[in-house]
Amino acid sequence: MNEEIKLKEEIEELSRQRLLDCYQCGECSAGCPTAFAMDIVPSHSIRLLQLGKFNEVLNADNIWLCVACHVCGERCPRGVDYGKIADALRTLILRNKITHLTLEKIDKQFILEAPQQAFIAAFRKFTT
Amino acid sequence: MKSFAYYPGCTLYTKSRNLDICARESAKILGVELKELETWNCCGAIFSTVQDDIANQIAPIRNLKEAQKISNELVTLCAACYNVLKRSNYYLYKEGNEIYRRRLINYLDEEYDGETKVLHFLEILKNQIGYNAVKSHVKKSLNGLKVACYYGCLMLRPSAEINFDDPDNPMIMDELFLALGADAVQFPFKSECCGGYVLVNRPEVATKCAEIILESIINAGAECVVTTCPLCQYNIDNQQKYMAKQFNLPIFYFTQLLGLSLGVEEKLLNLDNHYINPKLLLKQKGLII
Repeated sequence: MNEEIKLKEEIEELSRQRLLDCYQCGECSAGCPTAFAMDIVPSHSIRLLQLGKFNEVLNADNIWLCVACHVCGERCPRGVDYGKIADALRTLILRNKITHLTLEKIDKQFILEAPQQAFIAAFRKFTT
Repeated sequence: MKSFAYYPGCTLYTKSRNLDICARESAKILGVELKELETWNCCGAIFSTVQDDIANQIAPIRNLKEAQKISNELVTLCAACYNVLKRSNYYLYKEGNEIYRRRLINYLDEEYDGETKVLHFLEILKNQIGYNAVKSHVKKSLNGLKVACYYGCLMLRPSAEINFDDPDNPMIMDELFLALGADAVQFPFKSECCGGYVLVNRPEVATKCAEIILESIINAGAECVVTTCPLCQYNIDNQQKYMAKQFNLPIFYFTQLLGLSLGVEEKLLNLDNHYINPKLLLKQKGLII
């Protein structure tokens, strides 16, 4: 139980969001541009976090699909920004030295073509 | 000639030369000088929202400090640079927790007072030069060209920190293109994210995001798209390669069409640097030979 309280506090401290502010209206999931590809959508993630089911969310795919576009936070009637929560969750994983993205996974031709802005952003969000 | 400190950023020096060159040339015609910072470093391309992650704030803050050697107003063109620089300033002086703020300041080489104002080139065009003055410099009107102005996410959100334009229905670029004589087509996905950097780890997801936006643009009757962000440009231009539907929609930087309209030489517009060839459309409209 203490572990759980500590984790909740850590997520709230890193993200500056209060998990219990969310009243589950679902605006965030409706607006999220990558929700169609997510296993657990943003509002569902927040509900699981409220219930203390941290591992379910930390193991979910959605935190690696968040593009930090902040549509969720912009439209939230309670001022909760799931983009910031996802950033905190990624940080918790990455600070444990578990990297999500490696250079070998990326197509060589693509590295030559795409703007470096994409790589810098992806490596900042997805690597330790 | 009024001069502004100018921060091009990494992508504008390599993959997106056309966004940069066309802006500098257009500014010259409009009587404004974009004076590049003597030294600058990459802004980091994405803002870190994690409260204690001060390491990621140092790079943008150094650029803001460097700008003060030229002016207190720093102009950017790339939507990502604009987002990161502006939010770092906000983080440091409006929002930041005192402990983290002090820790961050300790990492900087010199004191920084938070006084650098980050402006987008569009804001210079609208508020400092004025769209009427821009209109008076038009050599080739874009009359009859149906343009979809696509803003994406980085220019607009979070609006509390960015405060650029209406986050759901931005009009600053539309107004510019109306002044240039074009028809600014309205469509519902103006501020939708293009898929961004998810392109790197899950390209199929980014392609789908781009496809939804292009579908909305085509249905609104646009003939081409303008954007301010190198990543949006790449996602909605090059990703057309992988889409089932052939949109064949040319994607420009707004500065390319601005430059074309103000009479910048065609070779400086760098029209070959596109996946969907835009020349056919421009020839059809009599804008290039």
